[in-house]
Amino acid sequence: MSPLALFHLAALLLLGFGLYGLTSRRSLVGMLISVELMLNGAGLALVASARLTPASDELGQLGTLLVMGLAAAEATLVLAMVLVAAKRWGTSDSDRLSMLKG
Amino acid sequence: MEQLAYAAYGLYLVLILTGAWVAVRCRNLVRALLGLIMTLFGVAGMYFLMAAPFMALMQILIYVGAVSVLIFFAIMLTRTSGGQAGEEDGGARPALRTVLALLSGLLPAAILAVVILTKASQSLPLKPEMPLGRLGQFLTGPYVLAFELISVVLLAAMAGAVVLGFERRKSA
Repeated sequence: MSPLALFHLAALLLLGFGLYGLTSRRSLVGMLISVELMLNGAGLALVASARLTPASDELGQLGTLLVMGLAAAEATLVLAMVLVAAKRWGTSDSDRLSMLKG
Repeated sequence: MEQLAYAAYGLYLVLILTGAWVAVRCRNLVRALLGLIMTLFGVAGMYFLMAAPFMALMQILIYVGAVSVLIFFAIMLTRTSGGQAGEEDGGARPALRTVLALLSGLLPAAILAVVILTKASQSLPLKPEMPLGRLGQFLTGPYVLAFELISVVLLAAMAGAVVLGFERRKSA
């Protein structure tokens, strides 16, 4: 198996674990953790493709940097939203947060 | 030398697998966060293995340094109905939910794995390590718009988080 396929399989494992966690977790924070796993897999696949194929090296690494920045922005915003939800409904359980306007 | 690289890959893969398993399965959210951090270190090791040390350091700096601290705050500031911070609600997970979640995780992964294993392009020998200056030139040259946009997104996210936080205090 080529190194490229090995790295892509590792990224794929992260995606699979992230999807599994996103659907099986009940708390919003647990779902956030799963989303971070998936974003990490995306970054790993991007860098692997940039380093081991004729694709532009700078572009792949830059894309991963942007993914990291987006992940940081997303985590900030989700933290605020989870706090608001926990304050308003007293829980961050996604099964109980089913109303659009409560 | 090549055997050594494969051994390092195996070590990082074990780190990633164990961490991801803990991150998605552990009932205690603090332990799940520790699993996530373990996975992040494993991915950073893989970046080092691909001779992209800047990416590895950024991974440790941004993810382990910033994002996981944010998640830790989120865990500590929310409580379940039992009044316990960091514990996920509910007793035993329903079996149906686990099966469906497994399906939703495995199905896309299996399809993509088939694509990777059958359509894999030949991987080149590793390119020489890219000097950091080239990345900077790229970022301030042709991709300056993406750079500015990500700054605006970060600013908007932070301003939004602050606004949400204040609103919470007002309505409480």
